[in-house]
Amino acid sequence: MTPRGGGTWRFDEAPAGLPPPAVSKLHIPRPVALDRADGTTWAPLRRRVVARVAPSVHTRALVVVEPRTPEGTTNLAVITGVRVTAGRLWVRLLLPTLPNGTQGWVRRSALGGYTVVNTRLVVNLRRFRATLFRAGRPIMRVPVGVGTPSSPTPRGTFYIRDKLTRYASPFYGPVAFGTSARSEALTDWPAGGFIGIHGTDRPALIPGRISHGCIRIRNGDLLRLSRLLRIGSLVIVRD
Amino acid sequence: MTIGELDQDGALQEALTGTYGLSRAKFIGALGLGSAALLAELARPQAAESGVANDREILNFALVLEYLQASFYTEAERRKPLTKGKLATIPSRLGAVERAHVTAFKRALGAAAVQRPAFDFAGTTEQSGPFLRTAVALEDLAVAAYKGQAGNIRSPGYLAAAISIHSVEARHAAWMRYLLGRRPAATAFDKPISAAGAERLVASTHFIVSKAKTSAGRSPRFTG
Repeated sequence: MTPRGGGTWRFDEAPAGLPPPAVSKLHIPRPVALDRADGTTWAPLRRRVVARVAPSVHTRALVVVEPRTPEGTTNLAVITGVRVTAGRLWVRLLLPTLPNGTQGWVRRSALGGYTVVNTRLVVNLRRFRATLFRAGRPIMRVPVGVGTPSSPTPRGTFYIRDKLTRYASPFYGPVAFGTSARSEALTDWPAGGFIGIHGTDRPALIPGRISHGCIRIRNGDLLRLSRLLRIGSLVIVRD
Repeated sequence: MTIGELDQDGALQEALTGTYGLSRAKFIGALGLGSAALLAELARPQAAESGVANDREILNFALVLEYLQASFYTEAERRKPLTKGKLATIPSRLGAVERAHVTAFKRALGAAAVQRPAFDFAGTTEQSGPFLRTAVALEDLAVAAYKGQAGNIRSPGYLAAAISIHSVEARHAAWMRYLLGRRPAATAFDKPISAAGAERLVASTHFIVSKAKTSAGRSPRFTG
């Protein structure tokens, strides 16, 4: 564009014929800071891997972690730490193995992508109560049945590994969550003696010490819980 | 456009070879292998019949790129590997902007918006070197991809929006390049990249992955 007749362009002489700028059809909101409420990061196992006591291949092997659960779902682990050793990235995992609460290190490349969840379930064994927290706030509380004295529900910090549905077993109710917790009493139980959170065909027994270690919840409560409880959420079992 | 033209400083290749241990030959070869199905589906706005459908395809294509960037910076912010020095505030500042872009596209598309894919950034969010090289690569890709679609957008309002985002992405690209010690503006004229070219580049990163199978229709064998 040159001024009529040449010479120097002056902006106060801009031609009136230029159309106004187009108006954006997108409303771009202001940048929003990340919600920093407590979150748990988990990742799927991509392959069979040896978890070690420290972030180095020269340290003692703790356990072999499989990429699949006994239920056929992708095995996953909660991330509790990261370290770079000799230029390699290692992550510390909360492991689904005995003794409960074991943590071990694997190479980052053994894991898939991270997912962050902001729900956690706190089970109080003494009060027979489970409370679901979202972003640190309690949003649901239900009565539960827990393990008997001879097969107690293990205490500690665990996580939800998977969700089973569409099976025909009234004993387990309509939905069952698999956790990383394992029974310390029933170690020869089929599929490893993992602790589940599931429904029941005997709701009148809840609350109480009624199970082989699993956390039983009345079916109606469980269905409500299943809509809110995310895979990878921490499950904290305490007195 | 070739990978060399887009990735003039080798930042993208460096990020990917650092992450996956690919040689340059394998890296280039990887461009021809497979693809992220989602992007492949979105990468054909020319085939759309009406202007509205055409623009919706392009907005969804842009949304996937914004998901990619927003997820990358958000993960870096949450993993907190960069708590000191010149990179300390980068994930939070850029992440907030990219999340705003995602929100804008999702609002505009409504029910037609594609779902957020699953991502695996393979550790690039947890170390400063890979983080910065990947940031350069993703910002350069976004700049080239917006430019590539500008001429295809039919609605002046959406074109105005795309240009307003494109310039922000260009500022981010220059910023990240400067932090990496690269020339912020490497050439006098930038070249665009086609949607198919962007798809191949994203596919080569393997950052878009299948979601983990976390539910099943099987009878439990828990202790009961």
